Amino acid sequence: MLLHLNPSSGVPVYLQLEAQVKQAVAAGALRMGEALPSTRKLAAELRINPNTVARAYQDLERDGVTRSVPGGGTYVADGMSGLLKSEKVKRLRPHARQLAVEGRQLRMTREETLKLLEEELDKLGGQA
Amino acid sequence: MSEAAILTEGLSKSFGAQAAVSALSLKIQTGAVYGFLGRNGAGKTTTMRMLLGLVRPTRGSARVLGLDPAKEPELLRILERVGFVPQRKQLYGWATPAELVRMNKAYFPSWSDDAAAGLAKRLEIPMKMPFKKLSIGNQSKVALLLALAQGADILILDEPTAGLDPVMVDEILRTLIEDHISQGRTIFVSSHHLGEVEQICDWVGVLEEGRLLLESRLEEIRQEFRLVIASGEGLPVATSPNLVSATTDGRFRRYVVTREAERFAAELRGQGATILEVSPLGLRELFLHLVRKEDPCTPGNVGAKAAPVSSFS
Repeated sequence: MLLHLNPSSGVPVYLQLEAQVKQAVAAGALRMGEALPSTRKLAAELRINPNTVARAYQDLERDGVTRSVPGGGTYVADGMSGLLKSEKVKRLRPHARQLAVEGRQLRMTREETLKLLEEELDKLGGQA
Repeated sequence: MSEAAILTEGLSKSFGAQAAVSALSLKIQTGAVYGFLGRNGAGKTTTMRMLLGLVRPTRGSARVLGLDPAKEPELLRILERVGFVPQRKQLYGWATPAELVRMNKAYFPSWSDDAAAGLAKRLEIPMKMPFKKLSIGNQSKVALLLALAQGADILILDEPTAGLDPVMVDEILRTLIEDHISQGRTIFVSSHHLGEVEQICDWVGVLEEGRLLLESRLEEIRQEFRLVIASGEGLPVATSPNLVSATTDGRFRRYVVTREAERFAAELRGQGATILEVSPLGLRELFLHLVRKEDPCTPGNVGAKAAPVSSFS
């Protein structure tokens, strides 16, 4: 997996890891059903503490991004379909609010803010 | 995670009138990778040597795997289960790594020949050259091989990567993660290379002049610790229990707080200060703020006096 971490950035490493896996899944770089490396393997590869990887994997599973199979293996979940629509909205709303507030503070127009969001969605390409 | 791997209470050592370690209380949980930071002469090596029964404490006590290193029979059991890589490697200079392996294996019940052979290959150690003729890097690798093949529950590493090039450091980090940390085993490591510490450690303790200034989970430092920079005339020497360091630089004052930084900033604002920045800080920055002596706030860097911050609950 192509991950790049910065342990000195002040951002918790497990959060960096989660964000990058989520991004890779959203962008289609990691496909549904694809296996993630074991905690131990990824930790050794990235030279980070295995507990950090384990924590990120736990959070990713909780968020429905991955699922783990009893007896070994973490896989990319099937399109997060397990989540209820209302739950998805609940997760996304704080980010939407943040975008709205910052857009307003920077005196961007409604159209400009929406256009930015659309551009980012386009960059992810593919799927609906 | 139940029992502490290493526990010290009021551990102190004086050499004559010189206090090397003062009332040190550490708690290193089983499975933790604990980075022990401090300037040269802060007392890190003396602490490690006390844990291994090489130096007798003046006061206080230590427990390693629940055993007391000051008592001879218990010390022997500690030495079976703890691998130590000292900064100065005093191994038999005439012996080759292969001979050192044969000498060492006799002492350790959980010694693994497979691990030793695997490490020798992976770390590319010239096993047939006398130890004294090896480069510093290869000497460090040999010491690490002996400690890892011993099958130790705890590794105590004193500056294990000092003097090594970045590729070797990277190899050693990988080896430690694969062959020790991933099995839930404990590491107590001193290092000046804060980047490495940030990568593999999950706990850090900062020692200064024999005293523990701070002990915290690394993720907590990233998540909660903040640098607050304020400016204004006659800024208060704020007295928050969450403050670990405050330094003055002309009209500016830098505070390091361990939690609730926004509230702390609001209090300063309430006292007429302008807040220029509230930002997370890396381990290197935190370390410098804690131990740096220049421009201290009156009556001195509060960090040097504050009770150690501990996030054990």
